[in-house]
Amino acid sequence: MSSWLDYTINGLIVGNVYALVAVGLALIFGVSRLINFAQGSIYLVGAYIGWVAVVQLHTPLPLTIIVVAVAAAIVGLIIERFGLRPLQNSVRIAPLLATIGISFVLDQLVMLTFSPNPRALPSQLPDVRFQVGGGTIGPLDLLIAGVGLTSAILLFVFLRYSKLGWAVRATAQDRDAAMQMGVDVNRVNQAVFGIAAALGGVSGLLVGMYYNQIDTAMSLQATLKGVVAEVVGGAGNVPGAVIGSLLLGLVESYGVAVFGTSYRNLFAFLLLVVVLVLRPNGLFASARQAPPEPLTGTFIAPSRPVRIPRWVLLAAAAIFAILPFFPVSFYVLQTLINAWLLGMLALSLTLVAGTIGQVSLGHAALLAIGAYTSALLSLTLNVPVGLAIICGGLMSAALGTLLISPSFRLRGHYVSIATLAIGEIVSLVILNWESVTRGPIGISGIPPLSLFGYELISPTSIYWFSFTVMVVLALLQGRLLGSHLGRSFRAIRDDDIAARAYGLSLNRYKSLAFIFGGFAAGVSGGIAAHLYSYINHETFNTQQSILALTVVILGGLGNVVGAMLGAVALVGLPEVFRIAAEYRILIYGIVLLLLVRFRPQGLLGTM
Amino acid sequence: MSNIDRRTLMKGSLAAMMAGAAFSRGAFADTSEPILLGVSGPLTGPNAQYGTQWKQGFDLALDEIMAAGGINGRKLAYQFEDSQSDPRQSVAIAQKFVSDPRIVMELGDFSSPASMAASPIYQRGGLVQFGFTNSHPDFTKGGDFMWSTSVSQADEQPLLAAYAVKRLGLKKLAVLHLNTDWGRTSRDYFTNAAKEYGAEIVVTEGYIAEERDFRSTLVRVRDANPDGLILISYYSDGALIARQARQVGLKQVICAASSVYSPKFIELGGEAVEDVHVGTRYFPEDTRPEVQKFIAGFKKKYNGQEPDAFNAYSYDAMNMAAAVVKIGGTDRKAIRDAFTKVKDVSSVIFGSATFDVASRRVKGAMNAELVVRKGQFALWDGKPT
Repeated sequence: MSSWLDYTINGLIVGNVYALVAVGLALIFGVSRLINFAQGSIYLVGAYIGWVAVVQLHTPLPLTIIVVAVAAAIVGLIIERFGLRPLQNSVRIAPLLATIGISFVLDQLVMLTFSPNPRALPSQLPDVRFQVGGGTIGPLDLLIAGVGLTSAILLFVFLRYSKLGWAVRATAQDRDAAMQMGVDVNRVNQAVFGIAAALGGVSGLLVGMYYNQIDTAMSLQATLKGVVAEVVGGAGNVPGAVIGSLLLGLVESYGVAVFGTSYRNLFAFLLLVVVLVLRPNGLFASARQAPPEPLTGTFIAPSRPVRIPRWVLLAAAAIFAILPFFPVSFYVLQTLINAWLLGMLALSLTLVAGTIGQVSLGHAALLAIGAYTSALLSLTLNVPVGLAIICGGLMSAALGTLLISPSFRLRGHYVSIATLAIGEIVSLVILNWESVTRGPIGISGIPPLSLFGYELISPTSIYWFSFTVMVVLALLQGRLLGSHLGRSFRAIRDDDIAARAYGLSLNRYKSLAFIFGGFAAGVSGGIAAHLYSYINHETFNTQQSILALTVVILGGLGNVVGAMLGAVALVGLPEVFRIAAEYRILIYGIVLLLLVRFRPQGLLGTM
Repeated sequence: MSNIDRRTLMKGSLAAMMAGAAFSRGAFADTSEPILLGVSGPLTGPNAQYGTQWKQGFDLALDEIMAAGGINGRKLAYQFEDSQSDPRQSVAIAQKFVSDPRIVMELGDFSSPASMAASPIYQRGGLVQFGFTNSHPDFTKGGDFMWSTSVSQADEQPLLAAYAVKRLGLKKLAVLHLNTDWGRTSRDYFTNAAKEYGAEIVVTEGYIAEERDFRSTLVRVRDANPDGLILISYYSDGALIARQARQVGLKQVICAASSVYSPKFIELGGEAVEDVHVGTRYFPEDTRPEVQKFIAGFKKKYNGQEPDAFNAYSYDAMNMAAAVVKIGGTDRKAIRDAFTKVKDVSSVIFGSATFDVASRRVKGAMNAELVVRKGQFALWDGKPT
């Protein structure tokens, strides 16, 4: 029994750690309706500034906190001014993507400055421990709890009782109305970003001290956990974020208690999905809160798609088809094979995110389902590879649609967060379901691609195979979009209430889109499995989901040709910058930012 | 039909032209050009730290090889391609290396998914893939062009088990392991050996690489009431677990796999890692000349920085590569065959290293029983903690 007390205390302690990030996220979401994927990077920056202060300048703790808060706030202001303000009048997805680009840039800058080796960030508090239950609590635990709670209370008071706080809330409610009432919306945004960034920086410092360890890979995890906690609490609700964090910490701790350590994150993400299904606006969203998103075409940039003449498409297809006859190296072919595989994934995502408006951040899970199905069928049941890949596609279509269906009633950002969680859940199930997936050992010795008994092992034949599959899928999708069904999809995207009033069954159409999209993604995963010959639960990870989304937005949402163009560009870019070694992700991030800034509707425009 | 024939013909002749070009470049290559090794590894992304450590070990080894006259008078160099340890990128890099006639052999990648995804391409392309951190049991089964100096866990874990059970007398063990292919394989070898030596495994917990909070895990451990904790971890997570174990009041003996061996383990773990026992493949006070030369050279080149295990692996790998190239020359197939011929290459990890031709791995890793005393790794003097 005393162990349960310990689990509870531990859950609350780690919940406090999550709260530090979640509060900043909630504040920004409250005002800008933006999930700031760069919050984890500000946390990272704060940790390293703290390291410089503590280890090199030997500042005392209060001064360290001030230095970190001020420096992080400046970073936040710079992000707001140069990264996000120019995107004010563009589509909602543009700032979201910009924060992803900013996080790439910040993480890489920190890595280049400080090297990727982890560093010790010594705690500046005395190391006394108080016995509580079977465990102990130290002053740093209390400080973290204090900072989390105090900042939540202060923010609550600020939002409720100060003049600037009113302005912030007014801006959150209705930006245009606030502006007409004389609120300086930019100043409000600035204030919010500064405060949130200061909080983010201090949280990086405290968490670094707590673990006596900081490293450049810590930002993504912080963002993920922070987002989960924030959404559980009710996005944009500051006290809700704290309670959501504590709840997340408790659920994880109890999950470990009952099922063991390797299930920990599984419960975190399951909690999120359950909350979203039961209370789509989070646990503490107030009834008076404005709807989370405007109801129509949230993510879709109003744009006229670039019409590409048919002969250009044919010529491009022909050139790519005969490319292997020219003296191109296998490296170029392999890079293009990667592009075609990513292209299939992008086709899938552009359909669900672009055409029907369900922005998925967990699309890599569909790859994983297809890959594992195809690999296991061909390896254990000797199913011919060609058939196994098709089965992989079907399995992704069925299982993927089933898993994603609870998110059908969600809107806007909540869909992305739910799919992000589903993606993580699939990966963790693969890790833990050892009797089927072989767990962390992964599957090796997957037979190479083959078709009617002929093995496709030369890059040339794999190139043609994957190119053909992609083109066929693209043609089918083009046909689909031109049909009545495609128009229904777009109607649901543009105004789901009108579409429902017109008699369209939203769930049925969303399912259809996910079935088709799931098939394309599953086929892509299946081909990849046979191409790599070895897969494990990390082969298809969150980064791939983010990459796929980037491709789709780059190409133009819902745009079939755009998806393929985007895939070639985004597989190609890092390869082109390969020569820049450590700098290439930095350059990639900057290119992404420039694209979002100057062409938010994508290269070829939204269909 | 004739169409297909023409295509095949066209393709054939182009291939022949390319091959010809490659051949002539190879044949008339200037001998003042360096012999080039390809390296596929992470320089960015979550594993970037390991790529950085590789470079340090490589560069030190190359300095020494150059000082000793290079490879029969020629320079040895490497081309490092950043894969982020991502399979999609490592396969593209593999094609790049295979089709670049200057590359005589490849080193890496870091993780199993990235390495093993590229293996079929290296195998078909006839280029040696020398994976020196690939302990996945199936890595060298990818084909006869896959070789590894990564210590097989089948070799190492029984030594750690002997240290914990026979020497330290721990009878009830809690095993915490990184839940990856490496951690999992290691755990299985460890638990089998430990049971054989008469110990009981009372609890096993696998954690994912991003995990930072182990308090609840440690409550489970406490409730199982072991008399020793076994960490199959890297240094950063190992240090975290040790710190949190002491914070929640666990006072049991901690015993860790060699992968925590790094000055960083002590820096990150602080007082909590005092008295932690580590079975390791090398340690700085080892009097063997190859170890002393490595440490002295490393400190001199990198401003007094202490080398760690990954520095040692990459240093050894580069020396091994040089020894192989010395025998095999610049022909890729001859290089593969040279792996069966190299004998007793001086190395930090193995003393004198020779490949076991059947497993394509090196056997007989050195093992020292260390303990952390006064903030430093020291040889264990046999006294209980």
